[in-house]
Amino acid sequence: MFDLKDPFNVIIGGVGGQGNVLASRILGEILIGQGYVITIGETYGASQRGGSVMSHLRISKKEPFSPLIPQGQCDLLIALEPVEALRILAPYGKPDVLTLLNTRPIHPIDVISGDATYPEVSKVIAKVEQLSLRVWVLNATEIALEMGDPIFSNIVMLGALSTIQVLPVERQAFEEVARDLLPSRSLMENLRAFDRGREMVKEIPSKKVPLA
Amino acid sequence: MRSIAQNTPGKVVLLMGNEAIARGALEAGVKVCAGYPGNPSSEIIGSLAEVANELGLHVEWSINEKVALEIAAGASFSGLRSLCAMKQNGLNVASDFLLNLNLTGCKAGLVIVVADDPAGISSSNEEDSRLFAKIGDLPLLEPAHFQEAKEMAREGFSISEALGLPVLIRSVTRVSHARGNVTLGELPHSNPKPAFDLAQPRLAFPPLPNHKVLHEKFKKARTMFETSSFNVYRGPEKPEVTIITSGSGYLYSCEAVFNLNAKERVGILKMGTTWPLPEEFLLKHLRRSDQFLFIEEVDPFLENNVKEVFAQHCMELGVKRFFGKANQMIPDVGELTPEIVTSALQALLAIPYTPGPEAYNRTASEALAEVVPPRALSFCAGCPHRATYWAIKTALALDGREGIVLGDIGCYSLGVGASGFFQMKTLHAMGSGVGLACGLGQLDRFGLDQPVIALCGDSTFYHAAMPALANATYNSANFLLLLLDNSATAMTGFQPHPGTGTTATGSPAPILDLQTLCQSLGAKVEVVDPFDIEGTIAAILKMVRMVKGVKALIFKRECALVSGRRQKKNYQVEIDPERCLGDSCGCNRLCTRVFKCPGLRWDPKKKKAQIDEAICNGCGVCVEICPASAIRREAQ
Amino acid sequence: MSRGLKGLVEKVLSQGLCTSCGACLSLCPYLRSWQGRVVKVHDCSLEDGRCFAYCPRTEFNFDGIEKKGVHQPYQHAEIGSFRRVLMARAKDSTWRERAQSGGTVSALIDFAIRKKVIDAAILTLRDGDSSPKGQIVMDREDILNHAGSSYVSGPTLEALHRGPWEGEEKIGVVGLPCQVQAVSKMRASTLEKKTPIDKIRLMIGLFCTWALEDEPFRDFLKKRIGNWPALKLEITPPPERLLKIHTTGGLYIVPVDEIRPFIRKGCEVCSDMTAELADISAGTVEGIDGWNTVIVRSDQGEKLFKEAEAEGIIESQPLPMEHLNHLKEASLFKKERAVKNFRNIE
Repeated sequence: MFDLKDPFNVIIGGVGGQGNVLASRILGEILIGQGYVITIGETYGASQRGGSVMSHLRISKKEPFSPLIPQGQCDLLIALEPVEALRILAPYGKPDVLTLLNTRPIHPIDVISGDATYPEVSKVIAKVEQLSLRVWVLNATEIALEMGDPIFSNIVMLGALSTIQVLPVERQAFEEVARDLLPSRSLMENLRAFDRGREMVKEIPSKKVPLA
Repeated sequence: MRSIAQNTPGKVVLLMGNEAIARGALEAGVKVCAGYPGNPSSEIIGSLAEVANELGLHVEWSINEKVALEIAAGASFSGLRSLCAMKQNGLNVASDFLLNLNLTGCKAGLVIVVADDPAGISSSNEEDSRLFAKIGDLPLLEPAHFQEAKEMAREGFSISEALGLPVLIRSVTRVSHARGNVTLGELPHSNPKPAFDLAQPRLAFPPLPNHKVLHEKFKKARTMFETSSFNVYRGPEKPEVTIITSGSGYLYSCEAVFNLNAKERVGILKMGTTWPLPEEFLLKHLRRSDQFLFIEEVDPFLENNVKEVFAQHCMELGVKRFFGKANQMIPDVGELTPEIVTSALQALLAIPYTPGPEAYNRTASEALAEVVPPRALSFCAGCPHRATYWAIKTALALDGREGIVLGDIGCYSLGVGASGFFQMKTLHAMGSGVGLACGLGQLDRFGLDQPVIALCGDSTFYHAAMPALANATYNSANFLLLLLDNSATAMTGFQPHPGTGTTATGSPAPILDLQTLCQSLGAKVEVVDPFDIEGTIAAILKMVRMVKGVKALIFKRECALVSGRRQKKNYQVEIDPERCLGDSCGCNRLCTRVFKCPGLRWDPKKKKAQIDEAICNGCGVCVEICPASAIRREAQ
Repeated sequence: MSRGLKGLVEKVLSQGLCTSCGACLSLCPYLRSWQGRVVKVHDCSLEDGRCFAYCPRTEFNFDGIEKKGVHQPYQHAEIGSFRRVLMARAKDSTWRERAQSGGTVSALIDFAIRKKVIDAAILTLRDGDSSPKGQIVMDREDILNHAGSSYVSGPTLEALHRGPWEGEEKIGVVGLPCQVQAVSKMRASTLEKKTPIDKIRLMIGLFCTWALEDEPFRDFLKKRIGNWPALKLEITPPPERLLKIHTTGGLYIVPVDEIRPFIRKGCEVCSDMTAELADISAGTVEGIDGWNTVIVRSDQGEKLFKEAEAEGIIESQPLPMEHLNHLKEASLFKKERAVKNFRNIE
């Protein structure tokens, strides 16, 4: 069923503090369990402090690839924040990139201060659509907030990922990895977040003609 | 939770480079591990600390890297394998001991892991620590990927024992802070009893005979490396170009060859043992090609050393062309990327290559320029440092004498920018703000009339500022030390330190109280809570106005990320739009435009400030600064 | 040009022209005062701000201001518009003992409150060691505590913006000429009034030749008199010109020339010695102890003064012509000096 391009390149991007490192690790663990060779490049340290962050995942059946994806070679973008999707697509996108987007903005301090403006989310989605072959959206942060803690939004996004049939991510495999990686007291909530993501994700119906 | 201690040989697991190094050490039977946190090295000791109790190891966060290395050496002298881990700046701190330790040698395997930070992603510099191997005639290994990181760490102990020398393993961000498949090996079960052999003292003095012994060991290392499996050639017999690479450069090189589909034309010589270089092995590969491209981070270390070997044998080798940093084919600062390697190789091979169709790239770049706002780093929502700098700025403005804030590296280094209201004016090594203050604090006799203010974090204070403070008292320097005590080594991942009451492995530890310490070092000390903004401003003003002597003001408030892990919000914060003055005279958006906490939002349509529920951590400080009492908080 | 905080910094604060009147304080979080200095803490981006509009050291148009102030055309005479100039003093000797000279101002404020001409008054608190500051007072005891001069200016008017106000409808202000000017500018400003400026019903101005920088002068006093609290300061008329400092530890005397270095630069460009925009202005009478020179200027001032006289609160005498002439000379001298100094700055 999953005859993945080799290497298949995934970027999980967002804002420091959104949990992209954990999301990439969980995804990596799920895939390594299926015999893939994984390389993940992560942003750590100072970039965590409110800056843009990315994890690069290289998925291959053969060998490890470099921890940074070459420009123009991202196959799947999981964006935890709308404008971050565009920031990543500019160097890494390509006409047939698939994008899974959390539509909830996090305002950068330049926007908070009024030195810059944050675009209308609908406008961002339209641009992402123009730059992607297929786009799926959900407000993962809102879902997580409804559950009582925005910390779950990365797991909501992984749940969404499991339904769009791009990568072999099954709920069962997630649960196994979650048992290993996440604190046991929050396991049930994380599973619930995963399921909410599965329920809430929607594909944006569109032309499906790649931008040459 | 998954640990690096599972004894499941042959199992393939996803490990971070740092975890792979830690695992390699475990597979070598390491017993004592010490280090000081610093990106990108922190998870080496961090992951070992997690399994220390289970495996019966001693793992500690030491006060600084020099002490850490001395601890590891002590274990090695006594017959226990030991590991010491640090970042590049840390090796500078440890280097005084290191450059004596090379003369005395060691007994049980001693591996020193240094994780460099090319481009200084979370560092004050991007120093290439490999040069220390050269200074100290020490064997140097550079892992290129995760499996190798583990193997080198394990093998490093045997090499160290065979040579009687500590072995340096140099990692970089894209190895240490990346994850990949690692096949686990066996965990040994040996419990050697440590003993220090009094008949074998470890004396660096007298240096001459020791230096001679060191050079003999060095020669032996060169011979050993001739057959090392860490040096690998991959490519055709007679390539047009041979890439000579080490560390992170290897996977980028593979990527470039893959991208350009140039497997038939390019060879890749991956060097794992980069000092001393195995000469015969190199010569064999130098004969293969006439063109060589060096791919490495950060300095042209391999490049220069290979050229040195070439120079010795140039009559035999004939004309060769070398490309790399020396001829600007590869940038001589910053991190490598797949693009850098691809474009260099593409130029050498004359293969056209552009990433993606041009129409797409143009549309994407236009979208970026048109709608995407910049995202600058800032202190987290609820970070005590924001309140601290707010108070510093206000107090120094009121004082009116252009007080100079001398800082150093840590989360609070963001004080150089908008998030810290541009207050920090010097940034160098750990604790250097306090040392600089010792100097500037003597200049009043020459007419300096600006108040001198040093600033450092709690972990930094233990690490490097205590001697400077003692010096200040001894030599009667005049300055105010602002000690930002957030009860964690926050920037590197919240590691405990001597002030937190716990050790690396979670055992209780006596607290070295900062207030008492500063007092005993001769400073007049006061403690404030930076969330009490007006009280903090008053305290800074009072102390900066005390004319003579060393004063220390401790800002006590836990890191917001640490407290956020333990508890939910302190306050539920709300903004009353009726009271919010917005951008009108009397406020002009103080909270959003000036204070700039990421937990706030500005609604340009309604012209009101708002709370971002997903970001606000409920510290309530914005309540204190709002001139209209429009922000309200309710204790949770 | 910015008519907001940026302009205020450029034209006033960075030029050292601030008189620390307090008109710009407690309006916003960007300006604060400490040890008698007004300090900009953060930048404000507004092009129009009350801080600039209210400042007596930004552009000042007496004619324009007049309409909202004394309600008659401004006279460019030596001591401004007035109805009469006379000598007066409080009849009750308590006022005279605690206050400067004749105690007229304190007694008038007390009377105005008792007569409900005003509900409260903003006076300047000078409590020895700390900087002068504005306070809202409502009774005799408070007024007594605020009497006297320290020759140091302080941000009195901050109290108008800061409050706390508890529904007072009519407010009186006693201030230096620059403070009276600031209040006049506040009344005339077209910017939204967010503080009870429109509730000011009475302005009593105090004669002022110059004021001192708070912090350096306090350091000087400390060096000269030690830690005794200064109870009262007075300057004797020329040719003697001595600063007499009454302390709990005795009397200290300092030649005025020694404190001249502490005169605020902002006072050197001030052209108003007699608080020309006040309802009533008052000062000393040179050479005659225990009496005030009083200039009654507005209808309101006249009404209050007459009633106070009628009820035996105040007694008055004509001011000898030579004193009036001398007052005019001194005021004119200050104007000339201000013009000269201002040209130097421009």
